[in-house]
Parts: sequence; structure tokens; C-alpha cells
Amino acid sequence: MENKSLFGKTLAIIPGLAVMVGTLYVLRVYVEPWMKDAVVFGSKGWLVQVLSLNYILLSIITGMIYRNILFGGKIPGWAEEGFRTTRLFIKSGVIMLGSLYTFDKLLKVGGIAITLIVSFVFGTAIFIMWLGKKLNADRSVTATMAAAAGVCGVSACVATAPGVRAKPVDVALSVATILGFGIMTMFISPFIGKALSLSDYQFGAWVGTGILNSGQVLATCLAFNPVFAPGTAVAYGEIWNVVRVVCIPFVVFFITAWYWKSEASAEKLGLGSILASKFPIFVLGFIGMTALSSAHVLGAEGSETLHLLRNVMAWVFGIGLVGLGAYIDIREIKAAGGVPLRIGLIAGVVKYILALIIILTLIPKEGAF
Amino acid sequence: MAEKNKSLTVFKSDRHEDVAAIIFSGLVVVVVLTYMAFIVPSVKIKPTQDGKLVQLFVSEGSMVKNGDKLYSLEVVKKKWVNNQMEEKMAVETFTAKTNGKVLKVSGTPGDKVKKGKETLVVLDHEKGTLP
Repeated sequence: MENKSLFGKTLAIIPGLAVMVGTLYVLRVYVEPWMKDAVVFGSKGWLVQVLSLNYILLSIITGMIYRNILFGGKIPGWAEEGFRTTRLFIKSGVIMLGSLYTFDKLLKVGGIAITLIVSFVFGTAIFIMWLGKKLNADRSVTATMAAAAGVCGVSACVATAPGVRAKPVDVALSVATILGFGIMTMFISPFIGKALSLSDYQFGAWVGTGILNSGQVLATCLAFNPVFAPGTAVAYGEIWNVVRVVCIPFVVFFITAWYWKSEASAEKLGLGSILASKFPIFVLGFIGMTALSSAHVLGAEGSETLHLLRNVMAWVFGIGLVGLGAYIDIREIKAAGGVPLRIGLIAGVVKYILALIIILTLIPKEGAF
Repeated sequence: MAEKNKSLTVFKSDRHEDVAAIIFSGLVVVVVLTYMAFIVPSVKIKPTQDGKLVQLFVSEGSMVKNGDKLYSLEVVKKKWVNNQMEEKMAVETFTAKTNGKVLKVSGTPGDKVKKGKETLVVLDHEKGTLP
């Protein structure tokens, strides 16, 4: 791959990308409308209303079917490069979500979001460090699990790995554990949200705090309420998600500093250099998009222009989520086990339930915007 | 580590991917805004909520300005008040988001309309503005 020209690299992306786009097209244009009209158990639209199945969840499920059944556990070489554009689409979708806000709206919920996220991110990391010591877990795998369960799943885990001398298997175990936990919460959260009559504001805040992966947060919010608009679950959940993503370099520094305490020979980096190398700069794109929205450059609320922009955003996300599903390897999740799995699951469940209790106690149903 | 990163992105690094995402989303926005401002010949305005058509304020051939009333719908408004979901019927008026000429009007007061389904007004908007 490294020796190919730019043209060759672009060409290599096409087959896999075509599968992702084609899959989403079939799901959105044929499958979802069919599900809305399908009569199951004598009830029209049961699949959508009761199972919360929409093109977002179907995209992830189809991606999982591709990898684990159709492709026999591994994305084939001809499709590999295309599927590697997955995060590009998810990050682009996150940037475009900035168009749902204006700065005054962000300020209204920013304080609550920052307080909750910072408490939960560092609280989870500290809890895992304590639990890892109690269960005599290896410090490297404890560190990668603290990053994975504390802040932002895959990205934080991969960013923390070199500083804590984690082996690839430590990273794989941590990622498999939190992705497995995320899949489970992605499917049960909409039911819990509806059973507890959570508002979009509460649901977005809960899922943004309790679920660990950006794609999974967005997919869960859209399963609860599939509308891309201000005041919906995805609009609130994304504020929490962005605050969490911004925490990555600080958590990486915190966890590696904890690791260095007992590892005299470890390579020590300052917060400044970690910020410079690990800060997720796509967040600046999100802020830029919010700036355009605040300046009313993207069209008035309720305009056909914004309607089209949000429709395109839904496609961008959907393509990314087919890819996200294809990166979920059931065998890897099955292989995760032992002490690391116990640490990750205990921390994940505690965080998920505690976040729900705090949201129900502190967050009103009335949305801030 | 390098292998892990390689398996997740088609770019040289996460930083390259972040920049590509900013450029890609910027391009998407530019294409959408250009299309809507200069290329789309006319705009089909559809209801943004389910409801009952109460009134159409425009007729075919009339000129409208940004903020002029186009149509009103009787809708069910849901709002959380003191942690209780309040539902009430309300008449919502929808306005033009740009200047233009009304090419076609569909529907009569009393018609039930579905969100995003029926076209109520077709507008030839002033080029260079966002409808």
C-alpha cells in the first residue's frame, strides 16, 4: 500500500467504499421504508417502533454480518482500503453536526456537559486503576483499559498505548471489551430510555456520558430519535461526545503519569507535547461549523438548504456506521477474557448505571434548547 | 501499534485523517450551499411536521419576500414542562426563507399532510440566496 501512487491508493479505496455506499442505499431506500409498513405481531411498523430498528442500527448490524459471516471474520483485501475510510466518514459527520448548534446553545448546556464528562472520565480512569491493583492486573493493560473505558474507546486506547508500553494484545483486549460492551448498550439503551420516559435531553446526556465510542453514541441517540435537528437526542448527545473527545489528551497524560510513577525507565512526555500530538483537531472543524451556523451562513432554521445539509449528513454518518459494524469482530470480543474483561465490564456497567442515576436526578426533562 | 493504526485509517496518521475530515465536510457544505443558491431550479417546500393544513397565504405567480407567510398547519405540539409531557394543538405558521416567485401551490385548507411527503409550495427563489 505504501508504495502505491495517490491514484493507486484512491483506486484501492473504491471497491470497499462502493460496498459501504451501496449497502446504505439499499437500507435507506428499500429496507427502512419496508420496515415502517411491515405488519409484525399484528402491528404496523412494529420493527421500527418497538425494536427501534432504523437505517442507523441496520447499517451497523449489516456491517457486522459482512465481517463475521460473509467475509469469514476478516475484511477481504479487495475491500480493506475502502473500509478504512470508516473513521473519515464518522469524523466528517461529527464536524457537520456542528451545524445543529449556535454558540449560545452550546453555552447553555456546555457547563453541565463539561462537569459531568470530566467527573466521569477521570472517575472511571481512577476506578479502573484501583480495580486493576485490587485484581493484580498488569499495569499496561490496566492503563489501556482506563483510557478505553474512561474517555473515548478506541482512539484514547491507541493514543495511550505507547506511553504505557502496552502490547498489541493489551490494546486489542481493551478495544474488544469496550466495543462489546458498547454494542450491548447500543441496543438496550433505547428500550431503557423509552421505558423510563427519558426526554431527548436526558437520553443524549446519559448516552453521551455512559457509552464509550463516538459512532456508538450517535447510533444509540438516532435509534432513540432518528431526527437530525436542534433539540433532539443526537444534538444533545453530540455535545457530550465532543467534550469527551476533547478530554483525550488530558486523560492520556493522566494515565501515563500514573504509569510512570512506578516505571523509572519509561519515556516521560510533558502535557504540552501530548496535547500537540494527540489533540483531536477535527473538533476544530466542529467548532468552525458551529461558527458558520451562528453566523447564519448555512441557511435559516427550517429552510430547505438546512434540510438538504442534514440529509447529506445522515448519509455521511450511515456510510461510516456500515464500516463501524465491519470493524466489530465477534471472535475478538469472544477472545477477550480474564481479569481485563472483568475490569472493563465492571467499570462499564458502573459508569452506565451511575450516569443514568445522575441524569435522572440532576437533569430536567425540558431541553436547554 | 503502527499496525493497529494502519488497520483503522487509510491515511498516514490520525492527524492526517482529522485534516481530511475537515476538508471533506467543508467541501460537502460548499457543494450543498452552491447547489441550493445557484443551481437548483426551484424549491419544493414540504411540511416539516404532520398536521392539518389551515391556510395557504400565497397563490401561483405571487412574489414573496424573506419572512412572508407561506402556509399554516394545525399541529400537535409536545413539550416537557415540569417533567411532564404536555401535548396541545397549535397553529404554526411557516414563512419563506428567501425572496422568490411562487410557481405552484398545492392543497386546500383541511387537508391532512405528512411530514416531508406532500409539496405545498414550489418556489423559484432569487439566485444567490439560500431557500
